[in-house]
Amino acid sequence: MVQSSLLEDFTKAAIKAVATVEVIDRSPDALGEAILRAVGDAQRILYAPPHELPADLFANFASDPRVRADATPDEMIHTAAGVTEAFAAVASTGSICVDVGQERTGMVSLLAPLQVAVVAAENIVPQPRDLFRAEVLDGKGLSRDFCFVTGPSATADMGPLVRGVHGPHKLHIIVLR
Amino acid sequence: MATLVNPADISPRSVANKSDKKALLNAIRMTLGVQSPAVRLNTQTFNRNRYAATSILPDYDALKDRARQIKENAISNLPELLRELQASVVANGGHFYLAKTAADANAHIRDVLLRHEVKLVVKGKSITSEETRLNHDLEAAGLTVAETDLAEFILQVADEQPSHIIAPALHYSRERITALFKRKFTTDLPLDTGEELTVFAREKLRQQFIAADAGISGANLIAADSGSLMLVESEGNIRMTTTLPPLHIAIAGIEKVVPSRTDFGTFIELLPRSGTGQPLTSYVSILHPPIKAPSFAAPGKTPKPREFHMVLIDNGRSRMREDPVLREALYCIRCSACLNSCANFETVGGHAFGGETYSGGIGGSWEAGTGTLMNARFSELCTACSRCVPNCPVRIDIPWLNENLRQRMNFEQPRSAAKAAFGDMTGSAPEDRVAPLQKQFFGNYSTFGKWGTRFFGLSNASMNLPGARAFMEKVFGVDRRRTLPAFPKKTWEQLYREEPRSLPAKFRPSLVMLADVFTNYGAPERGMAAIRVLRTVGLDVVLSPAMPDGRAAMSQGMMETARTQANAIAPMLRQYLREGRKIVVLEPSSLAMLRSDFKHLLDDEETSRLLAQNSFEPLEMLWNVAQQQKLDLGRIFPASKSKHGTKLFYHSHCQQRTCNSATQTIDVLRAAGFDVVTSSVECCGMAGSFGYKHDYYDLSMAVGEDLFAQVRRADQDGGPRVLVASGISCHEQLFAGMGREVVHPAELLAGTAS
Repeated sequence: MVQSSLLEDFTKAAIKAVATVEVIDRSPDALGEAILRAVGDAQRILYAPPHELPADLFANFASDPRVRADATPDEMIHTAAGVTEAFAAVASTGSICVDVGQERTGMVSLLAPLQVAVVAAENIVPQPRDLFRAEVLDGKGLSRDFCFVTGPSATADMGPLVRGVHGPHKLHIIVLR
Repeated sequence: MATLVNPADISPRSVANKSDKKALLNAIRMTLGVQSPAVRLNTQTFNRNRYAATSILPDYDALKDRARQIKENAISNLPELLRELQASVVANGGHFYLAKTAADANAHIRDVLLRHEVKLVVKGKSITSEETRLNHDLEAAGLTVAETDLAEFILQVADEQPSHIIAPALHYSRERITALFKRKFTTDLPLDTGEELTVFAREKLRQQFIAADAGISGANLIAADSGSLMLVESEGNIRMTTTLPPLHIAIAGIEKVVPSRTDFGTFIELLPRSGTGQPLTSYVSILHPPIKAPSFAAPGKTPKPREFHMVLIDNGRSRMREDPVLREALYCIRCSACLNSCANFETVGGHAFGGETYSGGIGGSWEAGTGTLMNARFSELCTACSRCVPNCPVRIDIPWLNENLRQRMNFEQPRSAAKAAFGDMTGSAPEDRVAPLQKQFFGNYSTFGKWGTRFFGLSNASMNLPGARAFMEKVFGVDRRRTLPAFPKKTWEQLYREEPRSLPAKFRPSLVMLADVFTNYGAPERGMAAIRVLRTVGLDVVLSPAMPDGRAAMSQGMMETARTQANAIAPMLRQYLREGRKIVVLEPSSLAMLRSDFKHLLDDEETSRLLAQNSFEPLEMLWNVAQQQKLDLGRIFPASKSKHGTKLFYHSHCQQRTCNSATQTIDVLRAAGFDVVTSSVECCGMAGSFGYKHDYYDLSMAVGEDLFAQVRRADQDGGPRVLVASGISCHEQLFAGMGREVVHPAELLAGTAS
């Protein structure tokens, strides 16, 4: 089955890019558990509600008292984890695509040290170039403001390779079966 | 760790402009003294990663063709694309400004910022803004500019120009950054690791991001159809710069425009792989600003509506577009592959092999195009080894650009009766007789070869006369520590005539060996060995008359001489093809002329195509025939009978590798039963005449050190290996570095046949 091989390739490539990946069932229970496990004991969690995936899927997670969908600027820059959806993922590179034109999705995926992204398995495309084809994912890649995110932020400018620079230090990807 | 010494305490800024030759020489001393270890480590890491990342792209070549085609079309339709882009940006709700000059761009950006009462502006990495000296002009207007890319941050703290197009501070080791920060900042932090330095810079810059009123970014590509930007980065600072502050200004050269966002699909596969060698960098943003998401308001402030300005600069690019040579540079996507695959660049970096903004092989054309011609003087460090050529994602023939720049710089030289007379006597085309004596000396190698072998006793003895080396250094700039190859008593042509005629051919194809002037006057025995090897497997080989092919002249920027020579030798070679012979060329730099450079030089396109398709390196030909005829090379050339030994260290020639004619030699040697260790350096550092030049001797030997170290490592396991090389100048360099005999693969094989 094409789908499962894309998922396998994606997982391998994402891990190579130093992200962590987990594949779960598509249910509010499973997703809520997975996200809360990933954020651990973070005291506050930034959350950009989804525009593609059904909001109900996130209902269990969003009911956690630590979750802030309307964080103040001060909270935005002082929170350990940020949770968003990703509208696409790329198998060859292990990237996820985050819609940065959509409300706070961009900021939430960028400002906290731990980034958690949720993507549906059917939105994994083979290669980065596929996002620039009108027939792929309804041409979303041609109309949106978005970012290919591949692993956590990194630099080699200070000598050795360091992960965690201006952007997140860790990236956890939850794939919905 | 060895102590690094900056010989005269030279600052990078003081030698950024290299229109004065002294600046270039001082910059080489400075970089060899201080920067070389970090530059080597970082560029060679990029280089290895790029080879790995592009080799797993199944359609790498097709992508390169596509990228080239997109860029050619875009530059050709640039005026229309710019009009379309302006309409797209405005339709998105942004502002568009086309600046004629750097000063014009800077003034416009300053005015936009002042109009918005901006105090603090954060910047993402933009080399184009380095070209315009944007920070300088903004600071003069009272603005605070915070470079947020950690490399640019280092450069801002150190007040230095970029040394690399994608990693502008790659000449800094971790230790030197620690020392710099401790000198410039008051802090109790130890700053002794990459993590600590990163945390220190991040904390500083995070405050700036929060407080900034505006962000300035560059752009890797811009799509005319939608006003979209592609922004490639790893740190997240460009994401912050472009999405947090309400005001976003993007500055880029007009050559960054491609027709459509769909074109990004080609470049997103090629650019990161060709640069850092990653499948993708951490973040690749695709934006058509102003973006719809709300801007970030610092605690206590109210969010402001977004505004976007695209500022494109011409600054000489329209002139480059009209120039058949510099136009090629407009196709550059600034990936840095030509820097990282260049042995000279790997050794000194962009503070020597670079100008005020741009560096490396492609840098000369950019400095000449956006500044003045003589700013490109550092392009002298391009030896035309050609290793960048197969690695360029838009297929720019970078050595060709640099050879043409060299010609233009030669033309800027004052005329003199002595140079004219010397050129007339030694064979320079009339136009090239303004070139410096050194260039005409190396460019007319065939003339000196002819004289030297004719008066062989005299010519070699004269080099041993007291004062001869000092004379050569003073007049022709030949370093006295180098030994110019002694001329042989008999040329290849003469030896060939004495050799018994070959037996009737057993196999097609029948061959002609080009008597390249380097082998003819420099290593005729090697040439004879190659003929014998090919005859041993039953091939009919004749030798052509010796004629210069233009390589020596071209490498000195004597393009008219090269053109004349190429057009003179081509009809003779074409005649051999008509007779049904294929061409075999021993010296790889001459092979590369036929395979690739003749397309620029020959008047007749069909001839250049036929010569390229039908010319071969001798062991490449041998391997092809051995495959077709299923020859047992182990029986024909049994390594066990080698009089040189069976354990080899083989260094292929840079241009041979670019011609894809190197692996066959390794295949042949292994099939014959030799134990072969190969070098993995891009070039030996001699690169024809380059290493003989007094000005570049130290650099040449520093480049060679990588190769020598590999030999020493290989020797550790079981004693000294037989040094084997395919290029004449590689022989000279290996001999200079290792002090022992170097043989050609053909000599090795000839020494096994019974």
